[in-house]
Amino acid sequence: MRKFFPVEELARDSRFTQINMRQAEADPRTAMVGPNAAKRAKVNRLTPARPDASEAARNLMHGIFVGEIQALEGAGRTCHDFELPDPKNGGATDTVPFALKLDMARQAWDESRHVEISVKLGDWMGSEIGQFAENTVLFEAACSTDPVMRLAGVNRALEGLAIDVFTTMKEFGEIAGDPYLEFCEDWMLADEVTHVKMGSDWLRKVTENDPERRAKALEFQSIVDRLFSFGGARSESEDSPIGLARRFRELAGFTTDEVDDIADVSLAALEARKAFSAAAMAEKP
Amino acid sequence: MTVTVEPEEFRFVAFDNALIRKVGESLVTTLGIDRPVHVIVDESTPLGRIRAEIADTVTVTVESGSFEDSKRPRQQSEIATTINLGRILLRVSDRLHGGFADAPPDDDLSLAQMAAWETYCAGRLSRLELRINRQRWLYNFRNRHGFSDAADAAFDQLWAADSLTWPQLRSISSSASADLAAAS
Repeated sequence: MRKFFPVEELARDSRFTQINMRQAEADPRTAMVGPNAAKRAKVNRLTPARPDASEAARNLMHGIFVGEIQALEGAGRTCHDFELPDPKNGGATDTVPFALKLDMARQAWDESRHVEISVKLGDWMGSEIGQFAENTVLFEAACSTDPVMRLAGVNRALEGLAIDVFTTMKEFGEIAGDPYLEFCEDWMLADEVTHVKMGSDWLRKVTENDPERRAKALEFQSIVDRLFSFGGARSESEDSPIGLARRFRELAGFTTDEVDDIADVSLAALEARKAFSAAAMAEKP
Repeated sequence: MTVTVEPEEFRFVAFDNALIRKVGESLVTTLGIDRPVHVIVDESTPLGRIRAEIADTVTVTVESGSFEDSKRPRQQSEIATTINLGRILLRVSDRLHGGFADAPPDDDLSLAQMAAWETYCAGRLSRLELRINRQRWLYNFRNRHGFSDAADAAFDQLWAADSLTWPQLRSISSSASADLAAAS
């Protein structure tokens, strides 16, 4: 079976349309600045109080669905792409311990369950599979040839974002009185906390004697966190639809300093997005 | 009746002024709107809010997400344009000659009342052979009236209706909401 699968060749049927981060970044539109921004709600956080709450929740639910597919593909790839350590070459950076593979296999099992749950929630909310564009940025974070980078990019950044998203959606379901949404998000959230914890633990263990590699991985995680914050979609600002779930992140093994760093990166991404849109709108046609 | 659209050319989205005009003219004829319609597209936001002001001319203000192809960001969808312009023009038609003269302005409607009116519009559009996802509107209605059998029954009543008045629609919405309040 082929190793190191490129993002362009992910298997999807004709219902799906994929976009990449560059295409998403090129869209100058935003609700936060522009000639009519002052007339809109002051808070963008996804709650049932938003007039477009149902539509926004359906859109986000579809984003979760495709994210789960890519997380499944990423975890499965990490099981398969790397060999077990050769005792004669213990320091190789392209091998992983068998127990790490087992954790990734468990994660792939979880993610496949999440895909099925997400399909059912999409039906419940009135969405169709492939109704919204699929941003492939999540799988791109899982394409590194260094397994430690994948742990940082996928388990810590991607699954960390999942903690924030599921917390927001769980609260949405709770406030709206939607029993299925609240229940399903709560169960998936519990799995995501476990996935982040596995990433945190393995990152620490595998780089125990290699501080330089650990620093590189954490730097990569920061880049991915910034990408996932693009457009101000996730931050502690009320301008962002998705909040930062501090408590669950702590349970998943993030330190307070690390969560503070993600909060800073997210806010910076939000401000950069506003500046980009304002500049685009100020340009003469 | 004439339909005009602005802007003439779009900068941030790949929308077609002539297509919006053509869809608008067809809807105006189908729904019997008796005055000119002017559509203003706000292409600075991807949100999907849509509103109308009724005077000698009906002015419809649309955020670009309303006409967008959700599979292809910044591209126009003729289906979305038809359905979303149809929704607002049905509300305009209701206000002009459909027993909704007493209805408050859109900004003064509660979220539940708006959801009820949207359900009434979407149900009628579905009978015009437009591809409407009923479950989408049921979910929207439940979010505003509760996830209960009573709310679902109220939804069915609105979806199947063809000639409600504002007092009737308000009554259906408030009775479903009353069950929600009693349950909480």
